[in-house]
Order: sequence, then structure tokens, then C-alpha cells
Amino acid sequence: MRFSQQRGFGFTVFLILAAELVCLHLAYARQMPRLSCLTGWALLGVILLLALYNGRKKLPFLPLLSSEEWLQFHIYAALLTGVLFAVHVSYKIPAGWFQGVLAWLYLLVMASGFFGLFLSRAIPKRLTTRGGEVLFERIPAIRRQFQERAEQLALQSVGESKSGTIADFYLRELKPFFSGPRNCSRHWSEDGGPVNRILAKISDVKRYLNEQERATLEEIAVLVRQKDGLDYHYAQQLLLKAWLFVHIPLTYSLLLFTAVHIVLVFAFSGGVR
Amino acid sequence: MSRQLPAPDFDSLRYERPNLKWVCGKAADGQACRLGPDSRGRCRVTSECRPAYETKPGETTGRYRCTRPPEYGGPCGGGPLPDGTCSRPLAKCAPVRSLRAKRIVFTFSIAILTAGFLMVALCGPFRWGFISPGPLSRQHATFTFAHRAKAEAAGNCSVCHQAARGGASTWFQAAFQARPGPWQIRALAAAGSSSLTAIDRNCLECHAGHSFHEPNVDSEHSCSDCHVEHQGPGPMRAPSDATCLSCHADAAVLQASIAKASSLPAAAFDYRPAQGRVIYQTPRPPRGYTRIIHSFSTDHPEFEIVLNHLKDPDTLRFNHQLHLGSTNIPAYWHGRKLTCYDCHQADAAGVHFIKINYQHNCQPCHSLQFDARNPGLLIPHGDAGRVRAFLRSLTQQYADYAASGQGMGGPARVQAFAGEQMTRLLLDYHSEEELERRVFFNNGQLGPVVAPGGTNQQGAAVFPGCAYCHEVTSSAGGAPGVTDPFLPDRWMIHGNFDHSKHLVSATGVEGKILCSACHDAEHSRKTSDVLLPSKEVCVQCHSPKGGVPENCSTCHSYHSLRKDSMPAR
Amino acid sequence: MPNPPPSIDRPQRWDAALDPKMSDATVERLLSTAPFSRMKTENFPGRLPLRDILKNDTRVHACRRGEIVMREGDYGTSAFLVLSGMVRVVLGQGLPAAMLGRRLFHRKNIFKLVAQLWAFQKEPESISVRDLSKDLSASTHDAHGEEVRICLQDVPRILDKHKTALIEGGEFFGEIAALSRMPRTASVFAESEESELLEIRWQGLRDLMKYDKELSRHIDQIYRERALAAALRRIPIFQRLSEETLKKVMAATEFGTYGDYDWSGEYKRLFQSGGPRPQEPVIAEEGDYPNGVLLIQSGFARLSQKFGHGHRTLNYLGAGQIYGLQEIAHNWRKPQSPVSLQYTLRVMGYTHVLKIPTGVMESLVLPEMAPRDLPALLSTAEDRPAAPSPAVDAAEKVGADMLEFLTENRFFNGTATMMIDLDRCTRCDDCVRACAAAHDGNPRFLRHGPISGRLMVANACMHCVDPVCMIGCPTGAIHRYAFGGQVVINPSTCIGCKACFHNCPYEAIRMVEIRDADGDILADQEAQPILKATKCDLCVEQITGPACQQACPHGALARVNLHGLEAFATWLKR
Repeated sequence: MRFSQQRGFGFTVFLILAAELVCLHLAYARQMPRLSCLTGWALLGVILLLALYNGRKKLPFLPLLSSEEWLQFHIYAALLTGVLFAVHVSYKIPAGWFQGVLAWLYLLVMASGFFGLFLSRAIPKRLTTRGGEVLFERIPAIRRQFQERAEQLALQSVGESKSGTIADFYLRELKPFFSGPRNCSRHWSEDGGPVNRILAKISDVKRYLNEQERATLEEIAVLVRQKDGLDYHYAQQLLLKAWLFVHIPLTYSLLLFTAVHIVLVFAFSGGVR
Repeated sequence: MSRQLPAPDFDSLRYERPNLKWVCGKAADGQACRLGPDSRGRCRVTSECRPAYETKPGETTGRYRCTRPPEYGGPCGGGPLPDGTCSRPLAKCAPVRSLRAKRIVFTFSIAILTAGFLMVALCGPFRWGFISPGPLSRQHATFTFAHRAKAEAAGNCSVCHQAARGGASTWFQAAFQARPGPWQIRALAAAGSSSLTAIDRNCLECHAGHSFHEPNVDSEHSCSDCHVEHQGPGPMRAPSDATCLSCHADAAVLQASIAKASSLPAAAFDYRPAQGRVIYQTPRPPRGYTRIIHSFSTDHPEFEIVLNHLKDPDTLRFNHQLHLGSTNIPAYWHGRKLTCYDCHQADAAGVHFIKINYQHNCQPCHSLQFDARNPGLLIPHGDAGRVRAFLRSLTQQYADYAASGQGMGGPARVQAFAGEQMTRLLLDYHSEEELERRVFFNNGQLGPVVAPGGTNQQGAAVFPGCAYCHEVTSSAGGAPGVTDPFLPDRWMIHGNFDHSKHLVSATGVEGKILCSACHDAEHSRKTSDVLLPSKEVCVQCHSPKGGVPENCSTCHSYHSLRKDSMPAR
Repeated sequence: MPNPPPSIDRPQRWDAALDPKMSDATVERLLSTAPFSRMKTENFPGRLPLRDILKNDTRVHACRRGEIVMREGDYGTSAFLVLSGMVRVVLGQGLPAAMLGRRLFHRKNIFKLVAQLWAFQKEPESISVRDLSKDLSASTHDAHGEEVRICLQDVPRILDKHKTALIEGGEFFGEIAALSRMPRTASVFAESEESELLEIRWQGLRDLMKYDKELSRHIDQIYRERALAAALRRIPIFQRLSEETLKKVMAATEFGTYGDYDWSGEYKRLFQSGGPRPQEPVIAEEGDYPNGVLLIQSGFARLSQKFGHGHRTLNYLGAGQIYGLQEIAHNWRKPQSPVSLQYTLRVMGYTHVLKIPTGVMESLVLPEMAPRDLPALLSTAEDRPAAPSPAVDAAEKVGADMLEFLTENRFFNGTATMMIDLDRCTRCDDCVRACAAAHDGNPRFLRHGPISGRLMVANACMHCVDPVCMIGCPTGAIHRYAFGGQVVINPSTCIGCKACFHNCPYEAIRMVEIRDADGDILADQEAQPILKATKCDLCVEQITGPACQQACPHGALARVNLHGLEAFATWLKR
């Protein structure tokens, strides 16, 4: 099995390196007063390698190993930076404003990275199960189609059945639903409540309709379900893109802070461990 | 799989271009135009078609024809305007960035913001507080400290840190001028403790006379190897055990120390106590103090005194068992047995005990009373010459005693009294020389031995003689020599002990540690007994099982005993 | 009056002649030579006169001794007519590759690769007018425009060592590849000192055959003869046969063509309109007496077995695969317990099949085969068919649903089908961006397509074994790249006629409006936009192979060869 082999290999290498690091640190921390400088450089080196991933993605035509291999390296190297970080700060969050902010920046980047990894493994399966595959950029156009079709049906029913029930219902309950992406946070928590509420309202309205209107309303209900599926895709795909809005900018902040950190450490330590 | 929704229909004639940075502004409404914004984000749309000018065969002037493609509706009904412009202009949109382009902009802004924040924080008035890695210890955080160190800048960092004497550019320079500098990986990796650094020099401005551990310490240490600042408010934390053990658990280091010691004269190791102190100096072991130690309770060596069964060289004879256990004493002493506190009084702080003093601690029982008939007449204590002088002027002493002590009036009466006493004395002692000899050399074996200390109604001297307690040596001419007793202020000079912490328990009320828990006085009959506890006694409490801290710094101080006095606790 | 839009002349079919230097005198000479001399010019329509076909779609080659005319395995689109002299066709194993001097293809060098980084600043689909008229076939010409020729050095030794057949004046060769879109079956080199060949590209050959019946018949006949001989020699079970036996086998072989050569249009129309499944005529029925071994030459056939009241698809057979051998071999070894055909064979679209009768197999072929080469015996009860072996039953490997999905949509055609695993795809569009980066900022596929379970087959060119898109291209802009077999479109010769776009059953080709450097859409004099057909070219110019596959961070995208299902099954189970 290829994926499990990948994971096995990655974890094994990571565990070996992490164990070595911790042991080396325990053994040499007494003897090497500047050990934290070395672990710091190692940490920075690995972080820069991690940050290069963004650059590699911009060069897909150069033979620099596939993006998949880079991502595997990225994940396990990130785990390794966790160990390096713990060793570097001697297992406690440093006191002081500057160093505290630096440490928190690192932890946030790491946490957002693992959150993103979790999302990228969990959300695709949900999207596949739900079905209704769409391209993210085409969602507004499709939403518009649904909206226009629903409006058309609602207007049609006025003429056909000489009654404005469906049209009123549409204006009151459904127009806000169709006019934009809805219920994003509910979709993130897999909560089907809102659409069920609308469908319940639709079935409530049915008792005031004749045969023809019922058929029209049924079509509108189908559109509601489709629109909800569209919203689901919108919400999940947006989340899949949005987590990078945290991970990447914070990385640059982290790198800037790190540069200042290096200057401060060497300017002010003057021999202090 | 059956629950899967079908994918909605959409237009598969166009490619999706996620690599473009700008997207038509109407895309959010689902009505993107087919032209799209240009690469700089400007809307390119003008009108629905570009009218074509055509001349049919046989015509002289042509007409403009609508050229709208069939996918967009085919030729429009109205056709172009006569001057060739399209009759259906389209409103321009406001192109928006694609999500990815927005992310790039956002990332860039965050980076700029961070840079800005750093500039403000590092160059602004709060920079010292911002970059400080933690609060200073109590001593170094006061204004007095800063003032004494002549630091005027707010923040006081420059007292210790050279780089703090300037601003951000100074820090930058200092960072790259530091040795080892940021790029010198090998030097950074060089094992071994750091040597004196720039900050250490600043420590020495106040902490003058930074003296080291032992003369045979092989390598220099920076102050910060043990004393770490910026660890939080309160007193600076004592060095951890690990710092001590970095040498004392390292065979190589200790071996090197042994080697170095063998090249030093023995005098280099002499202890020079502070003025007026008396110490008991155990001889230095041949290999120095180089046993490998891991913790107090496990393999700290036994105290030298106990280990080598060293003896108290004091010449003063004293029998603790007699004093503490005798059943006779209660008769003389407030009706109770003697306790340790009856003689040993703690000093003001309670840390140690005031030296035993004849006047306060011995005389109440052991007055130098030689004449039972005149118990108030006491031989002066402390100086053999004075004693001899006293004994040779006994008549006068009696006379003075009669006059002042007994309140007799009239010189004649006094003289008569003195003469009478002298006569009686000489009956006891047969001669003044005999008396003198007895006074000095009687150690209880000669002459009638009486219960010393108390009065004896039978009239013999109640005080056997100086030699009863002291070592008295005869000398040719002059008074006999009485060896000074050896009463050290400190027995164990390599560690510090605080009696006040031990005699009061943690709860303050119960569980007082009795003196006898550590000092086995009740069984000591000889002065030469050293009544100090062995290490095991201490380990009962100072061990993981006992629960009391057993850190090196609980008892020991690193800084040299050779020059400094021991720090008061 | 507004500025007229930028416009250029709309490209026409014969804008790029096969040989721009072809002179009228040469055309006259050709018209007086057989077979053109006996062709009736009135058979040819006004817009496609014979003279113009000869002028634009043919080229005269003068060959030296030993010059290689075509190499086995190359994808070529021309047929040849020997005007004078002799050429030799190498039979058997063919010439070694080194001798053929396999042409190096032009991958981009490192500078051009890095220069792609700046493509984002370009407008989409922008080509400069200068580039539009560049003829990319100049790659076969050196700096002076002279065609580069490779010659074989030692002709007598080659003649000695390899079996060859002679082709003399008046004969055609190379028609197999030109008409069937298969690679060249043999290498051909010139033998006489000065040979003269007429190269006819396949559009011209098609038109000549369409309007001249005799030529059509002749080509058909030699096509069958030659294709058959070479094909039979390739099949492993015939390789131990002697020349004589093989001749006897050939004599007894029957041909069968099933389905519609132009199947894609009909199929696509029916499928998209949601109508009933297009007809799949049965070639051989399960339970029938096996009266011959069927060898699939081209096209596809579906292998199925009865299951309940329906049929369960087991696999699909493509070119080079055999049907019926196991049953016949079993019957030959165990005549006392014979078996009937185990599976049903149906045609999918179009298939060309050779049939070797059972008698011939039993008397001539099977006795010559080593016992270990014979297929395994079937263990079967009287009436019920045996369970299909794992080698046959592809449904076991990839799942019955998936197999149905692949066969219904005719995806088995693809050698580089883009499969996206939706359970791993995070919809990040890195693949599309990578494709765009490799093509001047223009992506060449759409990340959307039919879905089965968790797999999506995206609208990216599958580089089919049987590329129906190539049928009908008037200029030959769409062709197979000579070395790797990828189907690519040459944008400078594409005239935007939409033939390939309509032909492709998988919506892999898209027409784009060409823009100039400022982003304005180019239009012709009629103010209609210039269109070009575009599609995935499997990144032939890049050194890394398909950029999409390289760029997917989660291993969700793969270009899968569905011609044999092993690779696909392995990928599914990763």
C-alpha cells in the first residue's frame, strides 16, 4: 500500500531523528553552553526548507521532485521542527514579550499547518460523499442559474394558477436563501438544520396549493436541495483555501521575527547561555 | 454513492484559469464577461460587438454590421449606430483579485505590518521592555543598582549588556562582532564552559574579587554558567545541582584537577579565615575533593571529620556525659539536669552558637574557689600570670575580700582576718608553694577529690586545680603555661549550616529536632570526641525520601573559601 | 469611426502545403505517371481538384542509397509511392534503434524552462502574429531549410543480415500508418543509388481514395496483405512457426471488421442525448462452439459473462489481445470433455479482427507450441462456465462499478487518462496552475468530468490508442508526436474548423479565441474571432513529464494508462 508505506517511512525517519535530537540534547546540554544557538540554526534551516515549498510550487516544470514528495517532506520536517523547537526553548515557553511573541508565532504556524493537514484529509471525503462536484470559481454562475430558475418557476406559478402563494413564499423565505452563499459555518459543522427548516416550511406551504402548484413547488424544492449542495461545496472548498490565509502570512512574520531574534541573541548574550 | 448529488450542468467550453490574478467584477454575480480584465486589473469591456464595415457588390457606400458571435445571441436587432459604434455598450465592471491573488496581497500586507511593528517596537520608547527576555532578579531590578552602576538610560540594560549602550544599529553591529558570532558554527559547537565574557566584566564592576573555587580548578568559568539572570522576579535562583555536577560528576575534569593540584604547593590550599575567626581545618585529602558525586543522599562522601575519626585537639577537659547525665548536678542546678542550652547559647540570628565562655557557662558551677571557709574569694580565671600573682598576694587578697566582700570595717580587723585565713590555709596546704602547685597542677588525682563545683562543708578546696580542666605545663621560671583551649567558631568549613532552620521544624511547633538528634553529647566522655553527626544523620531528612531539599547549594558555596568569608545566611 | 479591430486572414486548408516548393512542372509530370494518369479528373469535385491535391498534399523525395525513409514505430501520417528506383522494407525484428538514428525531440532547455516563470504576465492565449505563421515542421529541416537525412552506412551487410522485401516503381508503402493511425510497422530504406519517392500525406490519400475507386481497392488489398503478415508475426503464439506454416495460416485467415469506423460521432450524440446505449454487435457469444481464435487488431471489444439476467463486464480487449485460445487449446488437449466459449465478445465502437479457424489452429499452430506456452486447462462442470481467471477478470481488480463506468464512457481508449481521486483532492487547483505554467499561462484541461464513486475522469486529453480526433483534420495540425505517441496540435497550422473539437467524445479539446499581446481578441475581416483548437499535450516540451501529476501535493492526480488495467488497479489500491 503506497500511502501507508509513505506514512510508515516518514514516521520512522522522524522518530529516529527526534529521538537522536533529544538524546543528544540531554547528553551535551551541560557541556555545550551554546547548544541553543546550534539548535536555533538547525531550526531555522529546517523552517527555511519548509518555506521553500511555496517557491517550488511556482516552478512545476523543473525536475525538483514531485509536489507530493515535497509535501511529505514538509509534514515530517514540520514535526521535526516541533522537536527542535522544544529542545531549543528547553521545554518551556520563554518569558519576555519579544520571545513570547516569537514562540507563539511558531506555535501558531505549526498549529495552522496541522489543522490544514487535517482539513485536507477530512474535507475531500466529505465532498465526495455529498457529491455535486463543482469548480469553486463557477459557483456564482451556477448559483445564479438556480436563482433565475427558481424565480422563473415562482413567477410562472402566478400566471398558471392565478395565485400568488408560491411567489409570496419565494419572496419571503427563499429569496435570501438563493441570493448568495448561505450557512457556511453550519456546513462546516455538518449541520443540515437550515436546509431542513426550509424544506419543512415548503412542505407546510403545500397544503395551500393545488396540484399544479405542488408540482412547481416540488421543482423549487429540488432546486433548494441543489443550492444547499452548492453551498456545502462553497463552504468546504472555501475552508480548504482559507486556512492558508493564516499559515502563509504568519510564516513571513515568523521569519522576520526570527531575523531580529538572531541579532538580539548575539548582541545581548555575550556569552550568556 | 447513491446519495451523491449529481454535478450541476455547466459550461465546459471554457477553460478555468486559476492562474490569472484578476477576475471580472461581475463573476460574483455569476455574469462574468468573456473578455476578462487585463493583466493589470482594468476592465476591457467596451461594447457587445465590434461592428464590421462591409460593402456589398454594386454599392458605393457600405454599412456597419453587427458581429456579435452566435454564442452571445447573434447579431442584435438594432444594429450598430451610423458612425460605427456598437449600439449596445456594456458597463465596465470593477475587476477583483482572484482568491489567490488576494492571499498574496494579504501575505504581503502582513509581512509589511510585521516589519512596521518590529520597527516601532524596537526603536520606540518601550524597546527595552519589549526585548527583555524576562524580569530581572530582585537585586538587579532596583534603581539603586542602576544608579550605582551609573546607568542613566531608562531600562538599565546597559549596566550589563554592552550592546544596550546604543540603539538598533548598535545591536546589529554587536551581534556580528560577538565572538563566537552568528556564523561561527564550529566555535558555537565547541564544547566546554565559556570563558569570561563581556558581561562577566560588567559583573565584576560590582562583584569585586570574583574568586574561584579551588586553586586547582582546571578551567575558568563565566559567571553565567551558574548565575542566570532574567529568570523572574525575586532573588536570583541558586545555581542548580547540574552546574555543580558538570564538574563534580565528570571524571575527566576531576582527574585534570588532581593533576593540577599536584603541581601546586600545599600552601596554596591554606584556608585564611576572616579576622578573629577560629576554624577547625580538616587536613586536605591527598587527592583533594575530587570524588565523583551525583547527589547528596547517594554518593556524597562522608564528612572528613567523621570519616577519619578526627579528634578534637582541645586541651580543655570536658565530659559531656557527666554534665548531662549526672544525678548530682540537679542538686546544684535549679533542681534539674543540665540541658544543652544551659551552656550553648545561640547567637542573635540563631544560626550558630556563641563560643563557650568560662564566665557565663562554667563559672556558675566551676568557680575557682580554693578556700571553703571563704567561698566568695575566687581565683581569677583566664590568665596564669594573674593567678600566680593572686596566689602570691593572698594576704592582700584576703584583706581586700574582708574589706569589700565581707564588709569588715577597720584596717586592723581586716589585717587580722587576712592573717587568720592565711594561717588556716597554710595548715591545709603546708606552704604557699604547695598551694600554688596544687592550684595549678591538681587535676583531681592529687589531694582530696571533692565534688568539684559545689561547696563542701568539710572545708577542703572545692576546686581541684587548673589542671582539672586545663593542660598545665610547668615552665622554668614564670608562671606555668596553661594551654589555650581550642574553641573553633566553625567545625565544618566547607559547608554552611543554619541551626535556626533545624531547631525549628517546618510547622514551627511540633517536631523540634533535638540537639541530641545530631550531636551525640550524652555518650561523649572525652573532650577529643567530635560530636558532629555523620552524613547519614543529615540524609535522614536531606534526601528524596526525607523530603528536604538536598541541592548542592543548600550547604555549599562555590566561591572560594580561600579568600572570602563564608556568606552569612 | 473606431479603429478596426486587429484582423488577419483566416487560415485555410492549403495555406501550408506539404512542399511549398512543389512546382507546376512536377505536378504535370505526376499527372502523366501511373496511377494518376488513369485517374479521371471529373471524379474530383471543384473545390478539391486532383491537380491541387497533388500540388499541396504531396512531395517528391530524391533518396540516396541507404537513406532511411521511415522507421518502424514512428508515428507518421504519410503514405509513399515509388516513382523510380527501389526501396527495401525490413522484415522480422527490424533494424536496431541506434542504426535508425532515432530523432531527438526538442525538450526545452533550462533557460526556456525558467523563462516560463514570466508567463504569468502574458495575456491568456496570446500569440503574436509572427508566431502564427511560423511553421513548426521546420524542426525536421536544418538551418538551410534542407531536410535532414539519415543514411544507413552498410547496405549490403544489412541486406545480408536482415530479411527484406523489395518495393519497386509504382507500388505504395506506408499506407497502414497513414490510414489506420497506427505506428509504422516496418523500417524502409532506399536501395538504389537514386530513388524517387512521392510522399502523400494522409489527407491527400484519403481524398484520392475517396474519389478514385481503383486506388481505393488497391490500397485496401495491399493494406490487408501487409498488415496481416506483420501482425501475425508479432503475435507470440505464431512466432515459432516456420515460414511455410505461417503462409498456410495466413491463407486461411479471415478478416472481420465490426462496428462503425466513424463511431465516435454517433456514440457521442447518443450518449449525450441520454438515449439508449449505442448498439454493440456481438462478435462471439458465450456458450457457442469455439470455431476460431480471434485476434484484435485495432479498436476495442467488451468481454462479458452472463450474470443473473444481465451480463457482467469482465474486461475489454484491445489491439494485440486474443479471444478463444484457451477454449480451443483445452478442447485440443481434452477432446473428451470439450468446453464452449466462456465469455461473450462484443464490439465497442469499431474493431478490426482476424480470425484463425479452429482447424488451422489444431493442425498447424497448437502442435508447434511448447507445452508451457499453452494456456491453462479449464476446470468446468457440464453446463456452467468456469469462474474467470484473475488475468481475465478485471472487475476483480478495479471493481465492477468502475469497470462499467470505464467501458460505458469508452475511457479504456486512453493511454494517459487523467484520473483524480476525489477523496484526496483538496481542489487546490495546483494541477491547473502547473499546466498553465507549462503552457505560457494557458491551462489545457478542465478539472471536471464524469465521476464514479471517488474517481473523476477529468476533461483532459487521454492520448487515445485510437485517436478519433485526428479524423477529418484538414491540415494535419493534429498529429501524433513522432516519438512518444502523444497526440498534439500544431497551433500554427490549425485553422479552427472544430472538426477535432466535435469529434472528441470526451470533451478534451477546447476552442479558444486567440488574442494579441495586449489581450484584444484577434478577428478576421468578418470580425469573427480566430479560433484554435487546444488540448493537453502531455507536456512533450517539458523535461519533467506531465506537470499536473508532478504538481499535485496529495497524490490525487495520475495520468493512467487504461489500456491494461494493472497500473490502474495498483494506483487505486495505494
